[in-house]
Amino acid sequence: MKRKLKIYLPFVNAGIQEVATYRINWIFFMLGNALACFVSYFIWSAVYESGGGGSMSGFTMPQMVVYIVLMFLTGTVIASDAAYVVGEEIRDGTIAMRLIKPVSYNATFLFQELGNKLPTEIAIAAPMIIAVEIIRTVLSGEVQFSALSLVLYLFSCVLAYLINFYFNICFGFIAFVIKYLWGANMMKNAVIGFLSGTVIPLSFLPGALEKVFLFLPFSSLNYTPVMIYMGKYSGARLWYYIGLQAFWALFFFVLSKLLWKASVKRLTVQGG
Amino acid sequence: MKNIKRAFRIHRIFMAQEFKRMMEYKGDFIVGIISFFLVQLSNLLFLWIIFSRIPNLMGWTVNEVVFIYGLSLIPKGIDHFYFDNLWSIGFFIVRKGDFDKYLTRPVNTLFHVLTEKIQIDALGELIMGVALVCVSVQGISAQWDVFRILAMILMIPFITLIFTGIKTITASVAFWTKRSGNVIYMFYMVSDFAKYPAAIYNRFVRNVITYIIPFALTSYYPALFILRGENPLFNLGMPILASVVLMGAGIFVWHRGLRAYESAGS
Repeated sequence: MKRKLKIYLPFVNAGIQEVATYRINWIFFMLGNALACFVSYFIWSAVYESGGGGSMSGFTMPQMVVYIVLMFLTGTVIASDAAYVVGEEIRDGTIAMRLIKPVSYNATFLFQELGNKLPTEIAIAAPMIIAVEIIRTVLSGEVQFSALSLVLYLFSCVLAYLINFYFNICFGFIAFVIKYLWGANMMKNAVIGFLSGTVIPLSFLPGALEKVFLFLPFSSLNYTPVMIYMGKYSGARLWYYIGLQAFWALFFFVLSKLLWKASVKRLTVQGG
Repeated sequence: MKNIKRAFRIHRIFMAQEFKRMMEYKGDFIVGIISFFLVQLSNLLFLWIIFSRIPNLMGWTVNEVVFIYGLSLIPKGIDHFYFDNLWSIGFFIVRKGDFDKYLTRPVNTLFHVLTEKIQIDALGELIMGVALVCVSVQGISAQWDVFRILAMILMIPFITLIFTGIKTITASVAFWTKRSGNVIYMFYMVSDFAKYPAAIYNRFVRNVITYIIPFALTSYYPALFILRGENPLFNLGMPILASVVLMGAGIFVWHRGLRAYESAGS
């Protein structure tokens, strides 16, 4: 364990330094993403106003505001660039450098990305959770904060990140087939945006479709943690969804290993 | 006159080059178009789901909302198709020092950057935009006359320049800071507000997207005239004015930036 830490900690460090270099850029990027939140807010308030207020598919307008903010937060916390990084390395051949080192291919990515994300997550998560609680308290007129929900939410986010990370590793292998990674990623993001409930809460979908989407791995990404934080899942249902998350995390972990083994055999790197 | 002819000739040569490149990577072409198509599809599903629950959105029917959405995609798509290269300026051309290439050629740098590449992915947006406008007008009982249709078509080049102007200004920031890709991204994301009728926003947001980063001028205001015949002077005049001002500012800032540009090391 100690040896492992010694191997992988430098990767975390490298990730932290990477992100520190482009801090200003990151702020503009986040501001750009936050704008999409504002658009959602306005469109939903128009929808609720036009629909005569009240509750829609289990969401009142104040809950929808909380949902939008939490979706944004969760999306940022669990984001992973792995598909792009893996694809790029396959395409330009630098993947060969990983093969000659006595470390796990996936693990080096994981730790580098964690280093990349940790500073930003701490910077963004705490203020946003506080903001969510203030919004909730003001809109509903009573304190709704639950420490248990917060802890479960964070735990669920960790699982969601692992699913996302290993799914993205798997998706990165698509570079063997599609050379246009930017397009492939765009496609993936469009589909996942919808399936994960980022575009619209899954409970707004027709019943049968909702059931299918809830089982697919993508609802385990953003939707499950957000629903847990909002206290929509409880008792057996809560544990079912957390279990489902664990299942998908394991599934993609194993799949990524298998794909890695298979693709190393196929890998041809042209001279540099 | 001679200059214009020359510009067109250069543009043609660049385009021919780009088409050759594209034919080399046919798969990319399909992936790119499908990806932008899917993004739009997801937005449309959203509209479809919410409109199954409400009769209209603050007085706008589903067809009108789809019309505004589709109309916003057309100039956005054209800008994306022709002038996508500005993103590369912001993200890496300046940072890597590759911009030197443009300085050594006997063509205006901005003209060169704008005409050098085309982005075929944009067809995903463009086709979707045209299709949505065509489908939605059938369900709108507006008074169609030649003038409105003509206004719609003639507005598109101007509106395109609103996008290009904003991208040029923000891309130019890279001349000072080396990297401005995410600055372009942030301003470009404001165009998301243009997808829906501006009536749904509060006064502050509406003023920002009308007068400061005027993406509401790209589809909502023209649509007010095209669909409802309201106030043509403002609804058509403002977008034209904004496009001239923004593109003018873009050209000015770009050339100011050139003076500040110093090639990157390594």
